[in-house]
Amino acid sequence: MNKRTKQKFAFFFFRLFSIIIVGILIAILGFIAVNGIKVINWEFLSSMPKEGMTEGGIFPAIVGTCYLIIGSMIFAVPLGVMAAIYTVEYAGNGKFVRFIRMMTNNLASIPSIVFGLFGMALFVKGLNFGDSIIAGSLTLGLLALPLIIRTSEEALKAVPESYRTGSYALGATKLQTIRKVVFPCALPNILTGIILSISRVSGETAPILFTVAAYFLPSLPDSIFSQAMALPYHLYVLATSGTDIEASRPMAYGTALVLVVIVLFFNLTATLLRQKLSKNMKNK
Amino acid sequence: MIVTKNINFYYGDFQALKNITMSMDANTVTAFIGPSGCGKSTFLRLFNRMNDLIDGTRLEGECLIKGKNIYDKSINIDALRKDIGMVFQKPNPFPKSVFENVAYGLRVNGIKDKKFIADKVEETLKAAALFEEVKDKLHKSAFELSGGQQQRLCIARALAVEPSILLMDEPASALDPISTAKIEELIHELKKKYTIVIVTHNMQQAARVSDKTGFFMLGELIEYSDTKKMFLNPDKETTQNYITGRFG
Repeated sequence: MNKRTKQKFAFFFFRLFSIIIVGILIAILGFIAVNGIKVINWEFLSSMPKEGMTEGGIFPAIVGTCYLIIGSMIFAVPLGVMAAIYTVEYAGNGKFVRFIRMMTNNLASIPSIVFGLFGMALFVKGLNFGDSIIAGSLTLGLLALPLIIRTSEEALKAVPESYRTGSYALGATKLQTIRKVVFPCALPNILTGIILSISRVSGETAPILFTVAAYFLPSLPDSIFSQAMALPYHLYVLATSGTDIEASRPMAYGTALVLVVIVLFFNLTATLLRQKLSKNMKNK
Repeated sequence: MIVTKNINFYYGDFQALKNITMSMDANTVTAFIGPSGCGKSTFLRLFNRMNDLIDGTRLEGECLIKGKNIYDKSINIDALRKDIGMVFQKPNPFPKSVFENVAYGLRVNGIKDKKFIADKVEETLKAAALFEEVKDKLHKSAFELSGGQQQRLCIARALAVEPSILLMDEPASALDPISTAKIEELIHELKKKYTIVIVTHNMQQAARVSDKTGFFMLGELIEYSDTKKMFLNPDKETTQNYITGRFG
């Protein structure tokens, strides 16, 4: 076999494997879409579950997931971004920072069920929030935190050093430099990280299992100390422990479809936002 | 204007500058020449304390600007850097509009008056011989300008905060000959108002723009005199060899 043929052969396999990966993704999405689309209508999206969750809709689960997204981000975004600014801009590269970074990475690799358990011990019991939106939000926030810190750190590190020196040379302080040059420049990538962590958070089941999620609630949550329903947990309930699992099967696929669409929507937004914002940030 | 006394400077264990004593006068252009790694840029960055940003550096000796030791504890670094503008080797405009790039220095120094800022931006863009070329795209991204225009924008940005000294670290080395010529013309203009210290690789450039030239090698100031004398009749043989291109 000469080297041209070898190359063709290799490229054929590279292409094949790429196509297989795309194929798997399409298969999953297609399966969910085909099975789920049947039950999707306005009523499904906007009404309460009925008849032991075999009929009606998933509105409270959508609302609950939205609350949890907002709650977890209120907690995780400022904390994560500020931590990243500290480690990248202020802390230098000493032992302490390396330790923080190592711990952040470790935090990211903790299984989400462990976050759930910790959230239950600390927020539900320790701080006595009970099963509540705030306990669930804080737990999901903890889960999102390392992700946000990492992506924000990378975003800040990607800002060219010459912008910082240029700013210092004009008599700007470090804080001014960060606020007016470094941070705006890193913002598209930071936002991307935040949105990706939203899509991660919206799909997590384990952390909300012990901290907020309710099997069924007759009404929408009325405060941050209420329990709430959430899409991933609702899906679990419909698929495994409903009153009539066979009857609620189509509802489960419908719920899965809604969840997947939400996650894809956030991912797509992240991509578009980054493209749009970073266009102005690049020098030719 | 600038006087240094027995400057020794270290990056960790490496001594980058050895016992440098020299003085630069107001409203003159002083050029630093020398082979790569000779310490000329390091020396330049001492004057606005840019070397402070690098970890593990150490300085001995005195650096007086307008009679004050700028490494004294009582010195406000931000105020010092405002008074001593700097232009870098590669044009480094911020990812902001042309207008905001020039306005930046004013804003970070606490100026809020919109009228004043607008006037100042126009004035400094004119001083940097850039206004005519960019007056229609003041609010477009600075990245839309050519490399040469970006460098003049960086000069305008430095001038906006009314420095008395302008440090230029190989300001034309990343530019084409036409842009370089424009920058050199600009330096001639600017010297009426500012004290300029320029580091350059390009000896013709040093000869064209400067009044005095310092030749550095291996961290030492080998020779420092009027540019004319330096290029026509240097005292030291090393200088002669470098200038005639026998090494470097």
